Order: sequence, then C-alpha cells, then structure tokens
Amino acid sequence: MSEITKAVASPNVDQKEGYWSARVTRERTLRLVIIAFALVYALFPVLFIMSSSFNPSGSILGQGIIPRNASLVHYNALLNSPNNPFPLWVWNSVKISTITAVLAVLISSLSAYAFSRFRFKGRRTLLLTVFLIQVFPSTLAIVAIYLLLQTIGEIIPPFGLNTHAGLILVYLGGALGINTWLMKGFFDTVPRELDESAMMDGATNFQIFWVIIFPLVRPILAVVAILTFVGTYGDFILPLVLINEPQEYTLAGG
Amino acid sequence: MAAISQPQKNVLYPSSTPASPVGLILRLVGIAILDAFAIWFVSQLIADQAWFLAFLVVIVTIGFNAFFLSERLYPFRWFSPGLALMILMVVYPMVYTIYVAFTNYGTGHLRTQEQLVQSFLEPRGSNLYIPEGATPYEFAAYRSEDGRYLLWLIDEQGNAFAAAPGEPLKANGEGIEGIGPLDEDGFPETIQGFERLNRIQLASDDTINTQIFGTAEDSIGISGRNAARFELRYSYDAASNTITDLSTGTTYTGIEGIYTSTTDPNDTLPGGYYVGVGLGNFIDLFTSPAISGPLIIIFVWTVMHALFAVLLTFALGLSFALVFNSDLVPGKKILRSAMLIPYAIPAFISVLIWRGLLSEQLGPISVTVRDWFGWSPPWFTDAFWARIGVLLVQMWLGFPYMMLVCMGALQSIPSEIYEASNVDGANAWQRFWSLTLPLLLVSVGPILISSFAFNFNNFGVIRLYNQGGPAITPTAGWTDILISYTYRLAFAAGTTDYGLASAITIVIFFIVLVITVINFRFTGAWEEVSQNV
Amino acid sequence: MNKHILAVMLMLVFIASLSVNFAAAQDDTLVIWADENRAPILEALGAQFTEEYGIPVTVTQLGFGDIRDQLIIAGPAGEGPDILIGAHDWLGQLTADNLLAPIELDEELAAQFSPVALQAFTQDGVLYGVPYAVENVAFFRNTELVPDAPATWEEVRQISEEIQESGAAQYGFVYQNGDPYHFFGIQSAFGGYVFGQDENGNYVASDLGVDSEGSVAALQWMTDMVTDGVMPLTTGDEATALFESGDAAMMITGPWFLQRFRDAGVPFAISDIPAGPDGNPGSPFLGVQAFMVNNFSDNVDLAIAFLTEYVATEETMVELSTVGTRPSAFIPANEVATDPDFAAFASAGAVGQPMPSIPEMGSVWGAWGSAISLALGGDNTPDEAFGAAAEAIRAEIEATPEAEATTAP
Repeated sequence: MSEITKAVASPNVDQKEGYWSARVTRERTLRLVIIAFALVYALFPVLFIMSSSFNPSGSILGQGIIPRNASLVHYNALLNSPNNPFPLWVWNSVKISTITAVLAVLISSLSAYAFSRFRFKGRRTLLLTVFLIQVFPSTLAIVAIYLLLQTIGEIIPPFGLNTHAGLILVYLGGALGINTWLMKGFFDTVPRELDESAMMDGATNFQIFWVIIFPLVRPILAVVAILTFVGTYGDFILPLVLINEPQEYTLAGG
Repeated sequence: MAAISQPQKNVLYPSSTPASPVGLILRLVGIAILDAFAIWFVSQLIADQAWFLAFLVVIVTIGFNAFFLSERLYPFRWFSPGLALMILMVVYPMVYTIYVAFTNYGTGHLRTQEQLVQSFLEPRGSNLYIPEGATPYEFAAYRSEDGRYLLWLIDEQGNAFAAAPGEPLKANGEGIEGIGPLDEDGFPETIQGFERLNRIQLASDDTINTQIFGTAEDSIGISGRNAARFELRYSYDAASNTITDLSTGTTYTGIEGIYTSTTDPNDTLPGGYYVGVGLGNFIDLFTSPAISGPLIIIFVWTVMHALFAVLLTFALGLSFALVFNSDLVPGKKILRSAMLIPYAIPAFISVLIWRGLLSEQLGPISVTVRDWFGWSPPWFTDAFWARIGVLLVQMWLGFPYMMLVCMGALQSIPSEIYEASNVDGANAWQRFWSLTLPLLLVSVGPILISSFAFNFNNFGVIRLYNQGGPAITPTAGWTDILISYTYRLAFAAGTTDYGLASAITIVIFFIVLVITVINFRFTGAWEEVSQNV
Repeated sequence: MNKHILAVMLMLVFIASLSVNFAAAQDDTLVIWADENRAPILEALGAQFTEEYGIPVTVTQLGFGDIRDQLIIAGPAGEGPDILIGAHDWLGQLTADNLLAPIELDEELAAQFSPVALQAFTQDGVLYGVPYAVENVAFFRNTELVPDAPATWEEVRQISEEIQESGAAQYGFVYQNGDPYHFFGIQSAFGGYVFGQDENGNYVASDLGVDSEGSVAALQWMTDMVTDGVMPLTTGDEATALFESGDAAMMITGPWFLQRFRDAGVPFAISDIPAGPDGNPGSPFLGVQAFMVNNFSDNVDLAIAFLTEYVATEETMVELSTVGTRPSAFIPANEVATDPDFAAFASAGAVGQPMPSIPEMGSVWGAWGSAISLALGGDNTPDEAFGAAAEAIRAEIEATPEAEATTAP
C-alpha cells in the first residue's frame, strides 16, 4: 500500500536516481498495473456498446463480447438510409459542439481573468451569483427556452427555432457558470509578477491576457473545451425540442 | 494556501490602461452599433408584446453602455458577453419558471388568454354556425381557367342552384351554358369552361374559401363540406371577459382559465388559458397525499446519492489522474485519452448499456458473478442493491469528468512545493494528504459543490436506468430522488401540470441553495477562493 | 464624455432608422410529424401529392412518444405540424387543450374502418383521427416446446412445470415484471378489470377495479408461480431475450417484436390469450394509432383532405400495416393481408377492449405496475398490493378535479 501512495504522490521522477533504477522500475510497473485495471474498467462497457452495434437483434442481453452472428445491418442502416442522413447529423453535431466549445472557452476565460486579476466592488457577490444561479434545476426551462427562441426567431430568423445558431446561443448561456470557477482557480496560480512586468512595458490588460496568460493556461483551456464539447455533443434534450428539421438534426437528436 | 503564489494585497488593476484614441473610437462605434441593434430589437419585441424579454434586453444594453463608457466599471467589461448570455438564456428561463409556479399552466391551460380567445374568433370550421333562417347546402365547386368560381348547391329538399359571386342564385343553373350530365349525388360532372374541383383542390385554394357567393342579402360561403350563409359563432366581450355562443345564446365567463357557462357549470368551451393561482401550487404540493408518503426515505437517499456520486467519482477520477500524472508512464497521452472514451459516449446510451450489463437474469456482469460465486446481486429488485447499482453507474459516467478536472488542477500545482517537502523528508502518503489534496481542493472544491448540486437533481440517469424502482409504495421507489419523485406527482395523471412542477422546482432550488451555501461554509471553499490572490 | 455620448445617440438613431423588419411568409406547406417507420411511406406519398397538386409536403421524423410531448409545447405557440400520428390514449390530453381538429368521414369511407378503431378516436361523438393500425398483445409460444396453444392459465402453469422438469428449456412462461399492460390479459381472464364500463362502453372513473376480486386472483396466480419457482422475475428486456433464444417457452407480447423473433429464427406461433378458471377469455387492451390534424394549423381542410383522399387508400394502408407489423384499422387492407400472424393478433384482439383513454387512466399505470412488482417480489401480498394501489389511485383521482372540468361540451 505504501508503494502505491508513494507512486501516487510523486509527480516526477526523482532527478537524482537514474531512469532505470530499481525503485523507478518498481514504481513504473505499479503505475502500469493500475492503469491496466483502470483501462479495463473504463472500456469494457464500451466494448459492449460496440459489440451490440454489430448484433442484428439490437439487444445486449445474452450476448458475449463477440456477437454470435455479427452483422453490419445497423451500420448499413445508419450510413445508407436516405431518411436518416447520418453523416450530416455527425457533421452538425461536431460543428455545433466545436463552435460552442471555442466560444465558451473565450467567454469564460475573459470572466475568469477578471475575477482572478481585478479587485472591484461586487466581485464576491458576482462570483457567488454566477455559482448559485446554475444550481437551479433546469429541467423545466425547456418550455421557456422554446418560447424564447420562438420570439427571437420571429424577429431575427437566423437565431430562432430550428437553427444551429439559436441552439449554440442557448448552450453559451451556461458558459459563465462552473467553467469560470474552474479557470479562475487555474489563473490564480499564474504568478502576478508576469503581469506586472508586462504592465511596466506598457502592455494593456488585454494584451497581458491574450499574449501572456492565455498561452500559460492552455491545460485548463483544453479541459474546459473538452468538457463543453462533450457536454454539447452528448446533449439530446435541447436539440430534440428546438430542432425539428431532419437537415438540421444533431446526432443525439436523430 | 499562501504557498501557491503570495498575493500582494491591494495591488489592483483598477482601471483600464489609458486608452489610445483609436481604441476609444472603436469602442464607441461598437457601442453605437450595439445600441442601434438593441433599440430595433426591443421595438420589435414590444411589437410582439414580449414585455419581459424586452425588459431584459434593455437591462443588458444599459449594462453594456455603463461598462464600456464608465472607467469605474471597467472590470465588468470582461464579464459582459458571459453575463449577457447568462441573463438571456439562464435567468430568463428561471424567472419564467418562477412565474409559472404561480399559475395553473398545464394540460387544459396551455394557452394565454389572448391566444385562446383568438382561437375562438378566427373564421374556422368550428367557429362558424348557420344562423336560423339560413339554408344549409351540399355543394360542388367549379373553377374556370381565368379564376372565376361557381358553386352548385343542393339544399335539404333536393333543390339545386348555381351560385356565382355577386349574382343571385340560379335554380338548376338556369342560364348557365354547357352543364354536363349530373352524377349520382345530383352535381353536374362538367360545366363548360369550368373545372370541377376535388376536395384537395378545394382545400388548397385559398381564394374560394374566403369567396362570398350570391348577393349581399343571400350570401353563401363554404366551410368544410357545407355551404351556407355562415356567421361567426362566438363573440367576445373584453370588459366582462365573457364569450357568447351566438348559436345557442349561452354566455361563458372565464373562471380559473376555463370559459364556463353562466348557467351550467359543466358546460364549458374547449381548451383553457392559464391564470395566476397565487400559492395554489405550493399548497397542493404540501397537502398532496403523496407527499406525506415516504418523503424522509427519499430525502435521505437524495442527499446520499448526490454525496456518494460526487465522492466516488472524485476519488476515482483523482486516483486515475494521479497515476497518469507521471513521466514514468509510457504513451501517457494515448492511454489517458483512452480513459476518457466513456465520457464521449452520450449518457443515454451508456445508461442503457449498464442496464443490460447488470440485468439480473442475462446481464453479462450478473452471469459472470453468478458463475464465480453462485449468486449475483439482485440489481433491480432489491432496494439496497438497486442503490448500489445506481451509484456504480453514476461512478462510471462521472469519473472521466473528475479525472479531467483533476488533471487540469494537478498541473497548476508547482513542482517546487514537492521539492521543498522532499527535503523535509515527508513520505508520499503525507505529501498527498498535506499538500496535494488541500491544494487541489482550492481549485476543485467549487466543482465538487456544483457537482453535488447537479447530482441532487440528476434524475435523467435514474429515469433511464430503472425509473426509480424497486417500489416502496405504489407511487414511490427506493432509488427515486426528490425531483424524480415529485415530478411523478406533477405529471402523473396523464397530464402535464407545469404549474405544480415549477413550484416543486422552486422548493428544490431552495433546498439545494441552502445545502450549497452550507457546503461553502463547511468546506471553507468560498473563503479560500475569494481570498486567494 | 458628453460629446461622445451625443455622438453615440446620433449614430444609433441613424442606424435604427435603417433597420428593416423581417417577416416570415405564410406558406401552404403540409407538415407531417411521423415516427421513423411511417415517415418514409408518407414521404413517398407526399412526393406524389406535390407532383399532382403542387403543394409541398414536409415529413418530420420524431420518436413516437416525442410527437405528443412536442405538440404540447409547439401547438399552443402556433407552431407544430398540420398532421401528426399518435395513439388513441393521447386523445384525452390533446383534446383538453383543443389541439385536435374534428374530422368528418363520408359514411362510405367510415364503413371501411374497423368500428373499434373509430370508436377509440371518438370523444363525445366527435371523431379526431383517421386510424391506420390496431394493436394488441397476444399469447406467444415456442412451437418446439409447446406444440398446442394452452386454453387456460392453469394449463400454462402445468406446461411450465413440465418444461422445467424435463429440462427442455430454462423456463416456461415469462412475464415483464411490473408491466400492467401485459398483465391485463391475465387479469381480465380471472375476471378483473381496471375501470368499469357503462352501457355505451364508456369507461366510468368512479368504478375502479384494480382491487376487484378477479384482479387479486390473477395476481395471486402469478405470485404463486413465482414463489413456487415456476416463473422467474424478469424485466421486459429479459423476458423477450429469453423467448428469442428459446430459453423461455411462452410469453405475452405484441406485434412490435414480430420482426425480431422472425429474424432470430425462433419457431413461434401466436394464439388467443388463455382463459381464466371461470372460462373468461383473456382480453387484451386494444391500442389504436391514427393520423390526427392540428386544430391550429392554417391548412386544416387540406390536411383532412390529404388524409381522406391520399392516406385512406388500400395501397397506403397496406404499406403502413406492413412496416408497422400491425393489423390495419382499414378493413380492405386487412382483407388483402396474407400474414397469418396478423390474423392471429386480430383473433386475440376480438375479445379485447380499448385501452381507457380517460384522463384518470394516467393515475392508474404507475401505481398498478408497482403493485404487481411489489407482490411478485414478495414485499406485499397480492391483496395488500392491489388494495394500496387502488387507494392511492382513488386519492389521486379525487385530487384532480380538472379532469371533469375539461370535458368538452
């Protein structure tokens, strides 16, 4: 057990020991064993999903990992049905998710930077409000969002019902929430001396943000982008209600 | 915490850096365009009578102007895009939900009063009637090449007439040339110069449906399959909010969103509009017989479910993140990406797969466990195991999220800290508890609290997985959480009671709010985050 | 700063004056909401229609249940389709908001529909749908294990015991635990009922039969099967998979699994639902599916004309019946159907009763189903389980006064 914990908490190879020393080898083996278990845990249900996709009956019950009579009927139906333009839906999904993820990262990083770097009246209140608003159970909001997009669509059709832009707008509404908190924590760890020296050189706040901070926080930007992308990609309730034209469907909606 | 980066107190960036003239002009132009757009948008919203939305847009616009014109509010410029979207897409639905909680919006009351009244006043089939003294006819319609129309009418006595717009009726089509042989119903199969319209042509011809045939004194229109002098059946009096059915003379008054006859309370007009019911939904909620049921069991489970879901996913996600967070792991990036695959699969698919995997009779997991131990847990029929099953599924669905978050947070911990502690001779276990975890919790703490709040209301998974079963009583199940249980009440009677559901939402929101604030206090996460830097 | 603000004001007034109003044009398109099975047929039909009359037809594919859920959101807002497909038990909810247009059929055309189907879509004497399919469950048996159809539930038990003893298959009869819809065939055979009917065949909400003697007897019979080890506790998925693989010999299910069982190659036959101890036939619920017209469509007449002239034809109805693997509600289509399984379903459905579409039925399903699984799981006796369920349902019906108020005049 102590080996595990040792392995767990030392993030980097001890510089004094060689890469192939006995201790390091032992630690690496241990990590790899844990990783092997983790991968099995993470992936075995995925195998079943793939296996059932080859199974003609469409049920996962009573099947092994290798389907008894493998068949491509589902794939055939998926790719060649004129009624379900599946590749188009994938494209729609990817498009919407990518745009949402990029914009969400931009919007929330702007806010996170301000929360992290500026001191102003109302900062705490705003921070807390942003947090608390998103614990509101949004299950029922769908009716309101439908009516909202309908109203907007009557005035600005490109953002109404049945449009991808409208859907993206709805997703971005949540961009300010937990993402901002996640990023703020990371921004806080970027030393302020960097900002200060840049400011001495006459850089504007935006330049500091864009040129200095932004590249430094890439790991968290990536995390937020992935979280947003996957969240959008996997959502099926909103597209189901807001999008009613097969050409505009997203993957999950179809 | 001070170790992360020593804050220099009160070194603020209070204002924007001195603006260059070009920057200022760009900003003003931007604001001008935005204002112009907003004014136009608001005027359109007001024309559409979307008052509340118009109000929000005004607020957002004023905010933008203030933030971008005032130096004092400079920091808010950075929030403006996020805030604007949040107000529009999150706050608006929230306020709408609160509003609905005080109305009877739901089945039977789905429209606004205006929409409902309008639906009775439109000249459509069921809104028309044939007044006393007017003759109903069966008819056939004919259209000429140049767009003239002719009706052939047959009254109840079998008398036939031809009718054209603006001309008196002609008995048996006298004076019209080229009337072909009559079909079995007595309508001419052809009329020279005219084409007889079939039902579809008739229905898709917008002109004929609004055409008045015959003279002003004896005007005839068509509706559905009849022709007659139709009149509007309903008249509306806004002052008293009554609708009168002119065909019967009955007056209907709007009572609780239903137009009800003044003489017979069982005689109502179809459909209804939504009206305010004050605290009615809240009273229903707290006096409903179902609520007095197994509420305690469900509440405790709701809290446990959210708590365990967060702790288990966090523990698992963090462990994996730690194991991967080392240069010793070859192919780290690829392996790590593989771990995130579960996250890329939409939850509704994974949940169904898990339902299959755990299926008591045939699920691969159950079968394997039974082969090894001769017994497998009754995942769906036993209260305890059903709950364990739900948590297992939540754990699998949720660990990649936590792993991602922890991976990001771990990278923000500077390695110098570890080096310092190495010198102090702390062992790995101590380092984890005294350094890694507390540092991690600073940035991850709020995520955990938000994750708790999310899982408190996460009934999507439970509904897909086992619908809250197994049953405690006929209306509640062992894995039901507060929101799934109460929504069952709101949507139970084959109807949708949005009013009640909204009231439930608000009550639950307050519960979550209180728990969240307590969490913040309890963990000290709030203080740390707000003081840090 | 004042100068700037003035400049801003001037500029925005200028720009605002340039703005134009986008107005959506009204068009004469016929929009149909249908599920994935029926959508292709309707699309082909729509293409024909467009060619003949120049009116575009758009078919939107939705999940069957989503059609209702979305109509409730879109309909009152003035959006939504002109035509939708749906099941008759939606009728109460949709008419409560006046969302459906009344449909008149010529006598000649009406006579071609199964009377039960029309009855199911009629409320207070007004027809709201053009039915295309009637569905009901029937008794499935694996013909290798059970060559002859059992006539009574007592026989079903005997056969199940024999099969288990001989080891011919793992199980005899299997049931979708907690599913009241499939249970009703057994419940009715033992003399139970859900709602009593008046002399016109309308269901009476005040006469709830969930805890009637026959209902309890049926549940007792099944509970005994479980406690004596003759029947396993299986979910719907499991029961189906067991039957499909030949591991279970008998079950009650509906036409939706015909294709799957045929593909799996399991030898099966369909027969009437076995009778109870007093010789009562097991009568399944009848479900009817139909095309309905959105009352707030701009093209109500056109939509109805499309249905009566284009959809209510033998050719289309046969197609609909084939893709849906359900007997048609259109008599001429059934006459040309050659599928013996359809005839078997029709025979089982001959003694069926329309699934109640009164709003009170919504209160019944959940409690009724939970009671069944509580009894089968041994938590309650059948008597207690159905008693408690009936009590809960009665309380809920009383607490929902709107059900009466929304009945149309």
